[in-house]
Amino acid sequence: MRYAWIVAVLATALGAGCATKKGFEVPGQAFGCPIGDQKIASMEDLVKAKVVMEGSRTTVLPTEMRCSRSGDLLRIDANLNNDSKSVKRVSYKFRWIDREGMRAWEEEAWKPLMVYDNSNLMVNTVAPTNKAADFRLILRSME
Amino acid sequence: MNILHYVPRVAVVAAVALAAGCATEKTSYGDAKSVETVTNEFGSTDLQTIAESMARSMQTAPVIVSGNLPILTVQEVRNRTSEYIDTRAITDSIRSELQKGGKVRFAVDQSGLKQQTGEIDRQQSGYYAREQSVERGQMVGAQYRMEGNITSIVKQVRDTKDVYYKFNLQLWNIRNGLLEWSDEKEIRKTTTRG
Repeated sequence: MRYAWIVAVLATALGAGCATKKGFEVPGQAFGCPIGDQKIASMEDLVKAKVVMEGSRTTVLPTEMRCSRSGDLLRIDANLNNDSKSVKRVSYKFRWIDREGMRAWEEEAWKPLMVYDNSNLMVNTVAPTNKAADFRLILRSME
Repeated sequence: MNILHYVPRVAVVAAVALAAGCATEKTSYGDAKSVETVTNEFGSTDLQTIAESMARSMQTAPVIVSGNLPILTVQEVRNRTSEYIDTRAITDSIRSELQKGGKVRFAVDQSGLKQQTGEIDRQQSGYYAREQSVERGQMVGAQYRMEGNITSIVKQVRDTKDVYYKFNLQLWNIRNGLLEWSDEKEIRKTTTRG
């Protein structure tokens, strides 16, 4: 019983170490992606905050998005899902934003993509410059 | 022969000729970054996609990340496709993107060497103030050279043409001949008629 408090402290420390606050480890980040002071409570919130539809809307939607660092460059993985019964063609580009909220890079070229029916496709990229602190994934339908 | 018999035909021909002559030509500016699908030959979207993909990938290469602004030079990208492709335009775009990214520097390449040495020779000709003229023997050599290939496979049947492009780029260490980085980008385009 004498050592009960030591066991309790160890259990608490272990519990804290193993706490699964997945994606919310660093303040200002969610799933590794920069979020500033936005309230992001889930993957859906993150996708909503980072994805912009321009032009013709597409039913191909990102379902998951994760970010990491490659040196001092932001690296992004975005999973696009086509849950329809037909092949979908979309185009996408990333928009890079610096710490002041200004464009960190010129507008990228639209990149065409074909997503099979009932399929997922991973789109990944690396920021062109270390000035890029945030991003938006822009999507549009090509049909 | 009644001449009135030909009047409708002549009228139709005249109307067509008039319409053709009056056809208005319209020119408008477009988006240089939009997806171009006019034909399935190598186009602006392919060039932009390849350049962006290669430059972004190369920026994450260990020799670029760990190096202190390594110096690169651009060598040839061989066109092994059956069509004319200005491969210099691709390497120029890759170089621009890398240069703007600020992680590398570029030494003058083979194509620019004549102009570079010509300018040094001109400054050393005796017509310029000696203290402001560049000296011979001050140019910096590259540590890495960039070279690549573009190949294609074209398949065509009556109503379908399929083109597959593969662009491969490599970064070679000039000092020891090691391949430090390599990546490739594939593009498939299919055109169907009807």
